[in-house]
Amino acid sequence: MLPQGVKKTVIDNPKKLANLIDLVNLPSTLREFVGQSRISRLGCFMRVWSYIKTNNLQDPNNKNVVNCDQKLRSILMGKSRVELAELPALIKLHFPKDPK
Amino acid sequence: MGKIPPALRTAISSNTLLKTPAPTQALKSPHQFLYKNENPSKKSAAANKSEKKTPAPAVIFKSPELSEAIKIFNSLVTATMQTPRDRTFHNSLLQSYASISTVDDSISLLNHMVKANPSFNPDRSTYHILLAQSCQAPDNSLSSISKTLSLMTTNGYPPNQGTTDIAVRSLCSVNRLDDAIELVKGLSLNSSPPDIFTYNFLVKCLCKCRSLTTVYNFVDQMRASFGIKPNLVTYTILIDNVCNTKNLREAMRLVSALSDSGFKPDCFVYNTIMKGYCNLSRGVEVIGVYNKMKEEGVEPDLVTYNTLIFGLSKCGRVGEAKKFLKVMVEAGFLPDAVTYTSLMNGMCREGDALGALALLEEMEGKGCSPNSCTYNTLLYGLCKSRLMEKGIELYRAMKEGGVKLETAAYATLVRALCRHGKVAEAYEVFDYAVESKSLTDVAAYTTLESTLKWLKKAKEQGHAV
Repeated sequence: MLPQGVKKTVIDNPKKLANLIDLVNLPSTLREFVGQSRISRLGCFMRVWSYIKTNNLQDPNNKNVVNCDQKLRSILMGKSRVELAELPALIKLHFPKDPK
Repeated sequence: MGKIPPALRTAISSNTLLKTPAPTQALKSPHQFLYKNENPSKKSAAANKSEKKTPAPAVIFKSPELSEAIKIFNSLVTATMQTPRDRTFHNSLLQSYASISTVDDSISLLNHMVKANPSFNPDRSTYHILLAQSCQAPDNSLSSISKTLSLMTTNGYPPNQGTTDIAVRSLCSVNRLDDAIELVKGLSLNSSPPDIFTYNFLVKCLCKCRSLTTVYNFVDQMRASFGIKPNLVTYTILIDNVCNTKNLREAMRLVSALSDSGFKPDCFVYNTIMKGYCNLSRGVEVIGVYNKMKEEGVEPDLVTYNTLIFGLSKCGRVGEAKKFLKVMVEAGFLPDAVTYTSLMNGMCREGDALGALALLEEMEGKGCSPNSCTYNTLLYGLCKSRLMEKGIELYRAMKEGGVKLETAAYATLVRALCRHGKVAEAYEVFDYAVESKSLTDVAAYTTLESTLKWLKKAKEQGHAV
């Protein structure tokens, strides 16, 4: 089981929270997808997830899988099928940690 | 804490002086004036300036500028010939202006009012408006307050207990507790000591944001210098405060101190102590307090039983908690949502989530409607007991009823769904949590993300999930 404290630690940890909600200058591929030059990781996730929902990209036979269209493929490492479960991790790839 | 205010509340409602500084109420009266006069004055006052004001009567004085205010006042006076230009009329105008102006300008406006209308006699309530304003003024000194007080005195209204009360409450409302203490001491010297309600109010404020030593110092000083002694309510406030910081030893000392001062602990005191033990999950003592009450002949009330059932459930003594549910019904109390939720919580802790679900039906059958806490407790319990199907069913019902999710219930549900490979449904719960504003986006997302991360790790390591 996931220890109870996990989600708390992220919210209480200002660095991790900043990592999630700070606006970041986007690389060109992502910029095209979201239509703006700066977005937070959380905002980006919300954008991608709502894109999936509005375009009905979830596999009708297995809702846990997303059949990527051309546009989505461009930002999800060119994969044609993506598990919903790995979506946060894939998006995180676009938001590398600050080298500090 | 819900046990102390009633005494304070009656103090507020019985003190009519207090009503004047309440900005909402005072603002309302001028509206009525304007609305009342809209029709009669429409024909004659077409050219009148005040006509411009009538469409938006919410703000009578738009600028804190004194000359503007005087102009508006003059035009209002000429426009409202029909209404009695009595004290209420002037007071509400002054109150409205005081909400945006400086103290000096308010005093000037008052002087102008008196000059323009000699029949208007400012009384205590008028000066209390100025007093409340000077207490809430941004400058952090007592000088403007003492200026207002001396103005009152020269006009024949030396400060009384009502004055003290208004000053203290206004100062506390802007967090100037030290000034409030200072002022109370000064006023006590000037023969207007606080009454017991003001005193208790101040003690309660001090308890909230000052150290215990400060509170005790204040209590001691008031007793030594001015003979103002704490009463049973004061002791209850103090006991509640130390119980909230889990300092039960100090609470016990206070209980003996209150007995020494000749008070007998009442139901509120016992409830407060019982709550203190509940916070520490000390079931034996919780029952001990209950027995003590019985011994002393203090009748338990609904709060007592709810605290008792909550405490026992929390300590894992659900059997006894259920027993007390019967006792309370026999004593003529109707168990409410709090009672049932506490009991469900206890049952879920024991792993008897199905029993808790049955209790939900029972409570609904008795006409007691569950609240969002009840649902969340159940959802949490069901998911923890790995009764996911029931959990999903309950979640659907909650969603339909627009019941918000709480953090723990949300996290457990998301985890249970992911564990069963229903990631898409977990996303749907995430959407609901965000849509219904149950949680912040950050909290909802963080839980989802960390759960998925955990899932991946568990799968990689070949754990059964």
